[in-house]
Amino acid sequence: MAESGSGAADKSVQVKLVLLGEAAVGKSSIVLRFVSNEFQANKEPTIGAAFLTQKCRLEDRVLRYEIWDTAGQERFHSLAPMYYRNAQAAVVVYDVTKASSLEKAKSWVKELQRQANPNIVIALAGNKVDLVQPSPSASGSGSAVESEDEADDATATPGENAAAAEQPESLRQVPRDEAEAYAKEAGLLFFETSAKTGEGVVEIFTEIAKKIPIEHILASSRGTGRPGAAGRSGGAQEGGVNLEENAAKGKDACNC
Amino acid sequence: MSTISTHLRTFKEPNKEQITQLFFSVPPSLTARCEKDGLEKMEINAVLSMSAEAEEDSYAGKLHLIPPFLCFASLDRKSCRFTLPLCTIRRVERLNARAGIYALSLSLWHGMKIVVQLTSLRPTADLFCASLRDSLKAELQHGQMKAVRSFVKTCYSETLVASEAQAGEEEQEEKVAPEGTDNVETPYHGGLGLRFKFPGDPKKLREASKVKLWKTYLRTHGRNLTLLRYPQCTRLVQVGLPNRLRGEMWEVLSGSLYLRFSNPGVYEEILKENEGRTSTSTEDIEKDLHRSLPEYSAYQSEEGISALRRVLQAYSFKNPELGYCQAMNILVAALLIYMSEEQAFWLLEVVCDRLLPGYYSTSMHGTLLDQRVFESLVQKCLPIIHDHFQEVDVQLSVASLPWFLSLFINSMPMVFACRIIDCFFCMGPKVLFQVGLAILKINGEELLKIQDDGGFIQLMRSYFSSLGQSAHPHSPDPRARAITRFQELLLVSFREFSIITDDTIYSERKKFRNEIVFSIESFSKRAAIRNLKTLERFTKEQAGLIYDALYRAMCIIPPPAEVARPAPTLISDGNEEKPETRIGLRTFRVFLSEIATWARDEKIIINGFQQRVDREVAEHEFIDRLFYFWDVHCKGALSFQDLVSGLDGVMFNDLMENIEWFFNLHDKNKDGYLTKDEVLTLSESLLFIFRFEIGDAYLGAVSRFMTNAFEYGDALLPQPEGQGDSDEPPPTPGIASNQPYLNLATFRMVVLADEILESFFETDLSASFKLEPVPMMELPSSGNGFLGDLISNIATDDNKKLFNRFTDQIGRTIGKHQVIHRPAIGRFTKLEEPKARESLLTPSMRPSTSTSSLSPTDRAQSPGASTSNLSLSSDARSTTETLVQGSEMSPISIMKTANEALMERPQFAIDDALDDDTDDELGGEDDGVMDEVDAFLEAHDSGLTDEQKEVAKDLLNAKPVK
Ligand SMILES: Nc1nc2c(ncn2[C@@H]2O[C@H](COP(=O)(O)OP(=O)(O)OP(=O)(O)O)[C@@H](O)[C@H]2O)c(=O)[nH]1
Ligand SMILES: [Mg+2]
Repeated sequence: MAESGSGAADKSVQVKLVLLGEAAVGKSSIVLRFVSNEFQANKEPTIGAAFLTQKCRLEDRVLRYEIWDTAGQERFHSLAPMYYRNAQAAVVVYDVTKASSLEKAKSWVKELQRQANPNIVIALAGNKVDLVQPSPSASGSGSAVESEDEADDATATPGENAAAAEQPESLRQVPRDEAEAYAKEAGLLFFETSAKTGEGVVEIFTEIAKKIPIEHILASSRGTGRPGAAGRSGGAQEGGVNLEENAAKGKDACNC
Repeated sequence: MSTISTHLRTFKEPNKEQITQLFFSVPPSLTARCEKDGLEKMEINAVLSMSAEAEEDSYAGKLHLIPPFLCFASLDRKSCRFTLPLCTIRRVERLNARAGIYALSLSLWHGMKIVVQLTSLRPTADLFCASLRDSLKAELQHGQMKAVRSFVKTCYSETLVASEAQAGEEEQEEKVAPEGTDNVETPYHGGLGLRFKFPGDPKKLREASKVKLWKTYLRTHGRNLTLLRYPQCTRLVQVGLPNRLRGEMWEVLSGSLYLRFSNPGVYEEILKENEGRTSTSTEDIEKDLHRSLPEYSAYQSEEGISALRRVLQAYSFKNPELGYCQAMNILVAALLIYMSEEQAFWLLEVVCDRLLPGYYSTSMHGTLLDQRVFESLVQKCLPIIHDHFQEVDVQLSVASLPWFLSLFINSMPMVFACRIIDCFFCMGPKVLFQVGLAILKINGEELLKIQDDGGFIQLMRSYFSSLGQSAHPHSPDPRARAITRFQELLLVSFREFSIITDDTIYSERKKFRNEIVFSIESFSKRAAIRNLKTLERFTKEQAGLIYDALYRAMCIIPPPAEVARPAPTLISDGNEEKPETRIGLRTFRVFLSEIATWARDEKIIINGFQQRVDREVAEHEFIDRLFYFWDVHCKGALSFQDLVSGLDGVMFNDLMENIEWFFNLHDKNKDGYLTKDEVLTLSESLLFIFRFEIGDAYLGAVSRFMTNAFEYGDALLPQPEGQGDSDEPPPTPGIASNQPYLNLATFRMVVLADEILESFFETDLSASFKLEPVPMMELPSSGNGFLGDLISNIATDDNKKLFNRFTDQIGRTIGKHQVIHRPAIGRFTKLEEPKARESLLTPSMRPSTSTSSLSPTDRAQSPGASTSNLSLSSDARSTTETLVQGSEMSPISIMKTANEALMERPQFAIDDALDDDTDDELGGEDDGVMDEVDAFLEAHDSGLTDEQKEVAKDLLNAKPVK
C-alpha cells in the first residue's frame, strides 16, 4: 500500500498503545481523560478490551494513538497478548493507594519486556494521586465538585474515605520514590496521575510520543491513515466502494 | 503468584444421553437423584397432539422419560418440544382407540390435555408405560406434587393469565413490589424493573400487544412448569419478550426454573451460611458493584447494588472454583432488571454451567474455545471476509469476544441486547454464533475495507449504535422502511444461519478443544516460569522441565481444591499474598518420582511378549523429610518456586556441599548436631536410596558408615568428669539418643572415610536428580472418526494395565516372566541388561502407545455444516421465502421487499438517516407485532402424513380404557 500522499498526511504516524494493569486501577479512566477530557465516577469494567483513538501533536509531527484499553482482572490475563501484539507503546497502570497493584504492574512490565515487541516504549503510571493529596481548596467544603466527589466515594475503597479527608497521605500505599526507583531501574517512563483531576495524564502520552522511534515505525508500517474510517466518513457521499484513501486522508489530517 | 490448573485435562465430551439432557435443559443434579433411586430412562417414538382449543397440529417426534421429567421433541428438534416435570402430570390414561394404536392421554397441572401416541413396537410401549408409572409414583412419594401449587404462585404468568380485563392488569401493576419475598402482597417474583422502570419505551416496544399475545398462548399451552413450546412460542420470543414476563420466560426457556423449583430456600441459605465471609471473589465483586450498568437508576441506589452484591456473592460461594469473573456483573445486573435475586441466581448457574461452559472460569477456556469455533465458522460461512482478515492481520476476537462474554449487553443498546438474550435462552448458545455471523455478513462490504483491528472495532461500534435505524430508509414502502436494522439482524441470523445447529457447535468445539487446552497450558507454563522470583541456577528450559514434572504430578494427584482464600485485612501491608498453587505431600511424591531416580520403583519386566518398565511412586520417610525440608515457609505445601529452589539446593552441589546438604536434611532442629536417632534415620535414608543397587557394595558402605559414625561420635563426646582412664570407651555413652551427638565435621570425616560414600556425595547424589522431558500427557483424542473414538476408548490406562497383567500371566506360565528392579544410581552394572537401561532413558521408546500417533483419523470428514458457503446460505434464504409465500398468514409483499432489500443490502449499508418515528405510521399496534412475528415464520414440519394426522386428531376424542 505505497502512498505518495500529501505532506500533511506523511507526518501523521500511527502508534499502537496498550494499557495494562490490575482491575479498577483506572486504566479506562485515564484513556477517557486523554481522549475526551472527561471523568466518570462509575466506569464499567472493561470486558476483553476497549479501543479508542486520539491524536497527539508533537512539534512538527502528529501521532495518532490507537489505544487498546484491556481488562484488568487476573483471569483475563491470557487474553492480553492478543492486544499487546505489535504494540509500540504500553502504559502500565497501578493505583497509588493499593500496594498490590504495583506488584501486578511489575509483572506486566516483565511480561512485556520478554514477550512483546522488543522496541516497545513502556510508561509506568501511578494513578489516583488525587486521593493522597490534600485538596487544593484546602479544608472544608469544596462545593463546586461535591456531587462528583460523593459519587466517586462510593466506588473508591469504602471505609477509608473518612480518613482520607483528614490525612490524605495515609491512604498512600506506594511511595513515589519507591515506584520511581523501580521505573528507573527497569527503564520505564514514570508518572503519577489522576484521571479524576487530569493531572499527569496528557504528559504520559506526550512523553511516550517523544520517545517513540518514529522513523522506525514509518519504515516498517504498511501505510498511514485509516482506510476503514475513510470508507465510512469519506465514502458515504460517494456511495459504493471507495478504495481510494487520499481524499479521506487529507480530511483526517485536518481534523487534528 | 501463579496458579496452575489441571482441570482442563479432566474434560469429557458429552455423550449422547448427556446431549439429550442438555437439549431439554434437564438439570443433571435432579436426574442424578432419580438415577440413585433406580428409575429408568427411556425414549420412544411418539406423536403428540393437543386438545382442539390450542389449534395446533400434531407432531411426530420422540418422547423421552428422563426422571423426574418427561420430554418431547418433534423430529426437526425445533418446531415442538416440552420438558415437563413429572409432578405436573396429574393424570395419565390409556386411550381406547383403533386396534394397533397405543395412546396415552396426559392431564397437566394447568388443565391442558395432551395425547401421546406411542408408535414404537408394542412391548417397547408397554415398557415405557411401566417406567413412567414407576417414576410418577416416586415423585408422588417425594411430595413434589404438593410443591407445585405453592411454586407456581411465584410465577408472574399465573397472575397474568388470571387477570381478566386489561384494566385489572393495570391495577395490579401498582401493587407489585419487586422482591419475591414471602409477603402476601407480592405473590410473584419480579425484577428491579417493576420499581425502577424497564429500559426502553413501552409503546415503541409494543408491550401491550405482546402481553396480549402471550396471555392467549400461555392460557392454552401451559405456562411456567408446564409450558409446551409450539412454533408460535419461539416466534413470540423472537419478536421480543414483554418486560414483565421476560424474567420468568428466561428461567422457563433456559430451564433454570427447574433448579429454583427443586431447591427452595437454598439461595437464602447460602447467603446466610456465608454471611460476612470475604474472599478474593468478594473483593473483586465489591470493585465492580458500582460499575455494572451504572446508568440504570436501580444501580444508583442501595437496593439495586445490594441485590447485585448478594447474587454475585452467593454464586461465588456456591462455585468457589469459578468465583467471580468480570462480565458476570454486567450479566447479573441485566438479569436483575427482569427477575428476582433467587431467579437470577439459578439462571446464572445455568449460564455458567451449561449455556456458556467455561466462559467465566479462571482460565476462560470456554471463551477462548468458542472464539476459535466462531473463527472457524466465519471461515466456512463467510470465506471472503475471513480471507481479508487474514490478509490484513485482523483478529476477529478483538471485537467478538465481548459479544459472547457479556451476551452483547455492553456492545449494543440494552433493548436490543435483551432481545438477543431472549433468543439465546430459547434456542441455546448457537444463537450467539448465528448473530455474530449475521453481523459480519450485513457489514460484509465495509469489513472488506478495514485494514486493522482498530478499524474493525470502530466499524462494529458504529453499526451497533445504528441498530435502531431503518434498514431500508429509502424504500418507498413504509412497512419496509419500518424494518429496523436490528430486525434485519435477527432475520439474517435465523434464516441465513439456520445451518448453524447445536451439533455444529458441539463438533466444532470438539475439534478445537485440544488446541485451546494446549495453548492455555503453554501460556500458563510460560507465565509460571516468568513469575518465579528466582530461577536460581536453572535455565528457563530446565525450569520448564521442573514445571512439566509438577504438572504431570498434579494431573495424577490433584492438590486439594483451592478454597476461597480469606481476604487480607482491610489495610493491606503491601505484601499481600497472591493465590498460588501449592502441592501436598502426596502430589510431591509423584513429582519427585519424575525427577529423582531413587524416588520411584522401576521394574523392568520381560514376559516373553513384551519388555516394559513399570514405574511406581516410592514412599519413604526420606521423601517426606525432603518435602518438609523444602517447605521453607512452613505452609505444609510446596509451590513451584519452593520446588525450583529446593532442587537448586542439591542439583548443583559439589562433594562438600552435598555432605552438608544431606547432614542438614537430617538435622531436624538445625542445631548443627545430629542425634543418635538421626544418625540412624540418616543411615536408613542411605539404605533407601541404595535399595536397588546391584551387589553388596552399598550395603557394606552403609554398615561401615554406621560403625564409624558411632565410633567417632562416642570418641568425640566430652569425657564425663572424674574419669581418668580415657582409653576405654565408656560402657554406655553418657548421652541420650535424642541429644546432640554428631556434628558436621565428624559426619564429613566419616563419609570421606568411605570411597563409595565419597563418590556418592561427589557426583551421584546430584546426578540422581534428572531433568528430562516427561512424556507429554495424552489429551483425549479429538478425532471425529469412529476409529479414533474407538481407539481412544480402548487405550485407557486401565486397559493398558489389564493387557500388561494378562501378558505377565502368560509369561509366568511359559516361564519367561522376569522382573528386574532398576537401580537408582547404577554405578555397578554387571548384572544389568544394557538393553533395558537403554529403553529407560528415551521416553519415546516406551511401549505405551500414544493416541496421538493415530492422528490421521483426525483428518476424517468434518461435519456436514462445513460445506456451507455464501451460495448455500442464499439458497436457504430462497427456500424460506417460498415457504413463507406458501403460507397464507403472512403479507407476502412485505416479505418480498424485505428479502429483496436483504439481497441488495450493501446499497443501504452506508446510511445516516435517523428516522425513529416510523413506528407511528403503522396502523394498529397488534398488526405491527404480528408482521414481525410472521417474519420469523419458519418451515415447521410436523413429520406426519395426512392420514397420520387424521389418526392423531381422532385420538383427542377417544375415551380412556377402563
Ligand atoms: N479518585 C480517583 N478515582 C479514580 C481515578 N481513576 C479511576 N478512578 C475510579 O476507579 C474506578 C475504576 O476505574 P476504571 O477506569 O474503570 O478502571 P480500569 O483499570 O479500567 O478497570 P478494569 O477495566 O476493570 O480493568 C472507577 O470507579 C473510577 O471512577 C482517579 O484518578 N482518582
Ligand atoms: Mg477498564
